[in-house]
Amino acid sequence: MNAPEPRKHLAQSHSGELARIVRVNEEIKAIVATAFRINLMALNAIFLAKRAGNAALGFGVLSNELRRFAQDLTRHMAALREMTSGSVGSVTGVVQHQRNAAILAEAIRLSGDQVKGVRDVHRRGLARLAQQQARLRALDKKLRAAVEETQQLVELGGVLARSAKIEAAYGGGFSPALMQVSTDFAEVIAQIKRSLEVLGKERLVKD
Amino acid sequence: MKQAHCIYQNEDHRWLAIARDPGKPGFIVDTNEYLVMSGEDALLCDPGGIEIFPSVFSALSSECDPTRLSGIFASHQDPDIISSLALWLEFKPDLKCYISTLWQTFLPHFGGDESTFVPIPDPGMTIRVGGLELQAIPAHYLHSSGNFNLYDPKAKILFSGDVGAALLPADHNDLYVQDFSRHIRHAEGFHKRWMGSDRAKRDWCERVSRLEIDMMVPQHGAIYQGADVQRFIHWFSALEVGVLRG
Repeated sequence: MNAPEPRKHLAQSHSGELARIVRVNEEIKAIVATAFRINLMALNAIFLAKRAGNAALGFGVLSNELRRFAQDLTRHMAALREMTSGSVGSVTGVVQHQRNAAILAEAIRLSGDQVKGVRDVHRRGLARLAQQQARLRALDKKLRAAVEETQQLVELGGVLARSAKIEAAYGGGFSPALMQVSTDFAEVIAQIKRSLEVLGKERLVKD
Repeated sequence: MKQAHCIYQNEDHRWLAIARDPGKPGFIVDTNEYLVMSGEDALLCDPGGIEIFPSVFSALSSECDPTRLSGIFASHQDPDIISSLALWLEFKPDLKCYISTLWQTFLPHFGGDESTFVPIPDPGMTIRVGGLELQAIPAHYLHSSGNFNLYDPKAKILFSGDVGAALLPADHNDLYVQDFSRHIRHAEGFHKRWMGSDRAKRDWCERVSRLEIDMMVPQHGAIYQGADVQRFIHWFSALEVGVLRG
């Protein structure tokens, strides 16, 4: 025999909330991995600029800035990661309260209104659920603000990558190699932008 | 939906069996819950899993004001025994849960806090419900390592948890054992596999043989009454337990 229909809906809504957290975490992990890659790319670019000498002085400065950008991005992502870890507790609380509220509602339906105190229990449960949901909404707002801040940082990264491309043109014999590095930077930063856009659209709670 | 059946009554001293749920999803093992009432107090034995809470709560409410519940007796820690704990506590946050001392720190994973649990020491203890003095009787390793039965000396009822349990086919709806030899076939495999210690089994048989028992009420399957109680004890004492097959 299958589970009763209301429980099925409940199971789907639980999996939805937890799935959202998982998606947010996965995007953050992807960005952290990319930030690490930029850091390594920037180190290589610094060495390359050193080898190119005077012709790549500007490129060297920008590579240093890109490295700093990668480190800032890693810090931002660590803060985002911490926020989503904290939200797992709140989501779990919401899931538990939702499940209990649904089971209690079913108990009330089966036993009727005449059972003393049962409506109060249900009301208290719903109040606790509302509290947990409010906490989750506040976390969601904080997470969105943090994502917006990170998006601004990544905009700056994009500007640095574009400037590096211009500087690469003045790199003399090293120009093709510097151009390749700056193109890689631009691609990786575009990838981070896309991930942040996805992250910006994810919500820990349904509106 | 489950129904509450009165299996004993002497003035305000009552035992209810909450049993048989034809609407229960087939993937959940069928369970019996028992309510002991005396005066203004009531104790629920093995309240069951979270999925069947609405059905148990509703059946209980049809016969007893649930605000009278003062405690829960959990024979052991399994989910079909006590995973509904958090929901009962939603209803009555000051409920006490009696459980083997072994499981005292494990059960809070289902719900409750340090004020909820009354640990039962290995030799057992007396649990007061209204004017009754119920005895928590050790049944360790049958099947759980920290396991208790509950004996009511006035009603001469032994709540035996998983001892005596039978996994009955869906069309066997009798509340009481009608034909011991036919019934026990449904209990044999369960006892052989789930009861892990021959020594614990012999200890239990010896211990409960000293009690006056009119009814032995298990957590799964039908209730043994009259001569069937002794038949069960003899049958169990001779049964080879802790075996995978055979």
